[in-house]
Amino acid sequence: MTIRMTRLGRTLAVAAAIGVAAAAAAQARDIVWARYGDIDTLDPHRATSTLSLQTWSLIYDTLLATDATGAPVSNLAKSWTSNDAGTEYTFVLQDGVKCHDGTPLDADDVKYTVERAFDDESPSVTQASWGPITNVEVIDPHTVKLTLESPFVALVPFLADSFSSIICDSNKDADSFGTSTAIGSGPWKLESWTKGDKIVLKKNPDYVNFGKLAENKGAPYMDGLVISVVPEPQARLAALKTGEVDIAEPPFDDVPALKESGELDIVVAENTGQNVFWEFAVHRPPFDDERARLAVGHATDAAMAIELIYGDLSIPEACPVSRGVFGNDQDFCLQYRPNYDPEKAKALLAELGYGPDKPLETTMIVWTGGNRQKLAEIFQAQLAEVGIKADIEIMDIGTMNARVRQENETPTGKGSMDMMTWSWYDPDILYALWHSPGAYRGYTSPELDAMLEKTRVLTDPDERKAAVQDVFKVLLEKGIHIPLYTPGWEWVFAVRPEVEGFKVAPFVYPIFNDVTIGES
Amino acid sequence: MWRFLGGRIAMGALTIFVTTVAVTLLIHLVPGDPVQIMYAQSQGTTPEQLEEIRRNLGLDQPIHIQYLAYVGKLLHGDLGYTIRGHQPVLDVIMQRLPNTIALAVAAMIVAIAIGLPIGFFAAYKRGTAVDTGLMVVAITGVSIPHFWLGLILLFFFAVELGWLPVSGTGPLNIVLPAVTLGLSNAAIVARMTRSSMIDVMRQDFVRTAEAKGLPKRVVLSRHVLRAGLVPVITMMGLQFAYMMGGAIVVENIFAWNGVGRMAVEAIFQRDYPVIQGFILTFAVVVVCVSILLDAVYALVDPRIRRA
Amino acid sequence: MAELSGAVTDYDHEIVPSVRRTHFLKRVALSPGGAFGLAVVAILVFSAAFADVLAPYSPIKMGVGKRFLPPSPGFPLGTDEFGRDMLSRMMFGSRLTLLIGAIAVGISLTAGMLIGLVAAYRRGWVEKILMRGTDVLFSFTETLIALAFVAVLGPSLTNAMIAVGVAGIPFYARTCYSAALVERSKPFFEATIAAGAGPFRLVFLHLLPNVLPTMIVVATLGVSAAILAAAGLSFLGLGAQPPQPEWGSMLSGARDYFNRAPWLMVIPGIAIAVTVLGFNLLGDAIRTALDPRETER
Repeated sequence: MTIRMTRLGRTLAVAAAIGVAAAAAAQARDIVWARYGDIDTLDPHRATSTLSLQTWSLIYDTLLATDATGAPVSNLAKSWTSNDAGTEYTFVLQDGVKCHDGTPLDADDVKYTVERAFDDESPSVTQASWGPITNVEVIDPHTVKLTLESPFVALVPFLADSFSSIICDSNKDADSFGTSTAIGSGPWKLESWTKGDKIVLKKNPDYVNFGKLAENKGAPYMDGLVISVVPEPQARLAALKTGEVDIAEPPFDDVPALKESGELDIVVAENTGQNVFWEFAVHRPPFDDERARLAVGHATDAAMAIELIYGDLSIPEACPVSRGVFGNDQDFCLQYRPNYDPEKAKALLAELGYGPDKPLETTMIVWTGGNRQKLAEIFQAQLAEVGIKADIEIMDIGTMNARVRQENETPTGKGSMDMMTWSWYDPDILYALWHSPGAYRGYTSPELDAMLEKTRVLTDPDERKAAVQDVFKVLLEKGIHIPLYTPGWEWVFAVRPEVEGFKVAPFVYPIFNDVTIGES
Repeated sequence: MWRFLGGRIAMGALTIFVTTVAVTLLIHLVPGDPVQIMYAQSQGTTPEQLEEIRRNLGLDQPIHIQYLAYVGKLLHGDLGYTIRGHQPVLDVIMQRLPNTIALAVAAMIVAIAIGLPIGFFAAYKRGTAVDTGLMVVAITGVSIPHFWLGLILLFFFAVELGWLPVSGTGPLNIVLPAVTLGLSNAAIVARMTRSSMIDVMRQDFVRTAEAKGLPKRVVLSRHVLRAGLVPVITMMGLQFAYMMGGAIVVENIFAWNGVGRMAVEAIFQRDYPVIQGFILTFAVVVVCVSILLDAVYALVDPRIRRA
Repeated sequence: MAELSGAVTDYDHEIVPSVRRTHFLKRVALSPGGAFGLAVVAILVFSAAFADVLAPYSPIKMGVGKRFLPPSPGFPLGTDEFGRDMLSRMMFGSRLTLLIGAIAVGISLTAGMLIGLVAAYRRGWVEKILMRGTDVLFSFTETLIALAFVAVLGPSLTNAMIAVGVAGIPFYARTCYSAALVERSKPFFEATIAAGAGPFRLVFLHLLPNVLPTMIVVATLGVSAAILAAAGLSFLGLGAQPPQPEWGSMLSGARDYFNRAPWLMVIPGIAIAVTVLGFNLLGDAIRTALDPRETER
């Protein structure tokens, strides 16, 4: 009978499948790293998410790198000089570097990368981070000169960041660049990307480590690295425990238990420079009035919220740039920051005409991952206590960046605030955020512009510190940038005990070059 | 038979046409400026560049021209590019569509393999306690939310017992999602099979066969089953659409890399080209499978075959 | 009893309608399925109506108890990850559940019946267009229509309810159309037309009441389908938004805590299952009570 056949057939199929799976498991081991989401693209000029960025740092290499404190050091560029005006930078490249397809990595590749970023028809989404580059000149195969219209000190740290990954010019003719082709010179070569599922990388045997934070100066020890997508935190934990996965972000609630039992090692990234803060759509009511913004600051108790969600893995932050960044001073900032004081919040709201029967309505935009959904719910409840009705909207970081800018540019509509996040090594990030026109077209003012410009030119550290702290004062007192906590994203890793040598470089770049896997 | 099939194909074409219109309109129903949404991520784009992009995408044209342009691109296999990461939408969908279809088919196999025998048995024993018992089980099965069932199965079999892998797209990975989706529908299949079998059993030709003295088993297998299966096949088309819809939720629970998971992510990312592509693909797949099943039905049911 | 009702149905509703109705309700209440279903509905309505008074705490206030308390004295259903009382949340959630059922089915029923009745009455090209239209919509399952709605309008419980309502229209329209066609083909209907009755009278006084029993069954079963569909959407994050205590989204939020606090996932799941089961059994009981041929089965 047909029905019995189907059942028998099904049993046979399952048995065969189990056999196949067992055979596959017997082969050589790759490192398996599971994350909550997928990359957007393999093209460093088309996305901004951390998930994409971390992957680019494995496939491509950058002119400079950062040391453990976050300061820029040489990498693909053996040395660099700039003219006095700060408008010309000349880089001398290392010898004998090869792209994954065997072609040499030279000044032409740098020129190709920069010109592509500035392409008129489809510029890079992070074009502005390169600064006002007007010309790229190949002086000889190992020397390249960048000319800028005006000084841009932030160019140097940017060249250590994977947004500035050097793309080999052999990618030029590939239609599928960014989709299934990605030729770089990094420690890992792209083998395949199955969207939504996994990225398979194989080690680059020709790789030389010039400046990255790995002890291994050559090619990675392991043969391959698989980056897979596992959105559910509990599923990741289960996969870690069974050995399906070697490294992954665990559910935050389980971290204390894991630390105690020692089943998995917990690695917490340091020097993330991450700052999570409230910012607002200031060009329309209600947040055009600073009292509304300060009310939000007084209403939210960041310490309590992160304690609940992250335990001791994260700490409250009072300054617009986080601990470890130049200018940070908790005591100074706490004086000006709108700190937790619900009564003050209610009083400010009352001044504006809001009360228990007329709540202030706003959208709260938050980005996905890291249990932020739960964090947002706590903040929502805290805001409700003082009479602010916040509707949570969760979206991934790229969409959020786009949406925040949209909210700032729309003159009408419900109030909007967002939990924004940036990570950078230098207070110059505040220039990028708040100097007109502003990264998200938010608050700007001529006074603030002048103050920010001062921070860029002062060379004496004490003078610069004072100038930077003046900027902090304005941002805090006016409730423009209300810092909440640090670190805030993808900085916690659970690692299987037999995996050795895993480390995380500044800016949450995981390094797999030193990884070896013992017997489990 | 061909007239019947022709009618069905015409209906399918109409459905797809309506879908393309709906999908073109979709992006205009969204509050806000679509181009701004798409390029707001890029900090360097000037208003002039946005205008240029708008013109390139044809968004400044009147709606009927846009529709024709969209259909034109469709016929060339161009579904546009994702907003996030600028990937061709067709690629993104095609890499995952086979997974969803595999899941829907596997779930249907589970549903039929479990539901059909149960329904048949209940019809055979109709009116007895066995019948009532089985139907109670079936109705309870229909009532359990499949996402809850899925979570429980996931936690129990994969997380706690570790019998099955937690993520990935291997052959073992399809077991839990298929069982989750299939079990919920097995109950429906059981109920419908039972009704249809009972209907057939009461018909004259069955009584004739029994009166002829044929053993009950022969009557059942030769006459009742064949006639009773016909409405079940008809129902399968609708069931497949249901499975595809149910796959959307199940894929999210088990991180099964299909188009359902892609669609939900796209909604959170406001990635409209992907959402448009998804709706269109869904409609096309459902229509094609329906027509296929209708063709099978037409071959099996002699009344239609002869027409 | 059965023979009496059998005799009555042969004459349709012309003879002794009131007697038939009383028997019908009693029959529903006496059958085990019907009794269970009615009980479930009663508890749901009671809970929804008196939640304000009966619930010990506010459903959205965090920290009324320690986090992750299992069901215990003081907190009969325990507390969740934010220290909110589960019992209060479940009670206020029942309100949302009823609302979902009412609105979604309301939309499907009204629009569906309108389409079905008009198509059955008018026949001709009106009928063809309406029925072809519903056939096209049939290809799209509720989840897909809901996804499209939410993609455009944004995630919210209201949008989810409307989406589920709209997605159900084809089924209700088809069922009403089939039932109305049966009525329309009866001789007394032609007679009424010949007697000079106008369209309104025909549709609303003759077609509608005869179609109603079938539609009541469909609607009751539809409530359970709507609740499941909306819960599924909320589970995905496309329906109810925090801090609304909708059962589907509560289930979703509890995913991370399965090890620590399994009751957070089990309680809303059971509530949804029991509610849906109740409506399903009730619908089946009504169908059985309305169609005595069923008792033979």
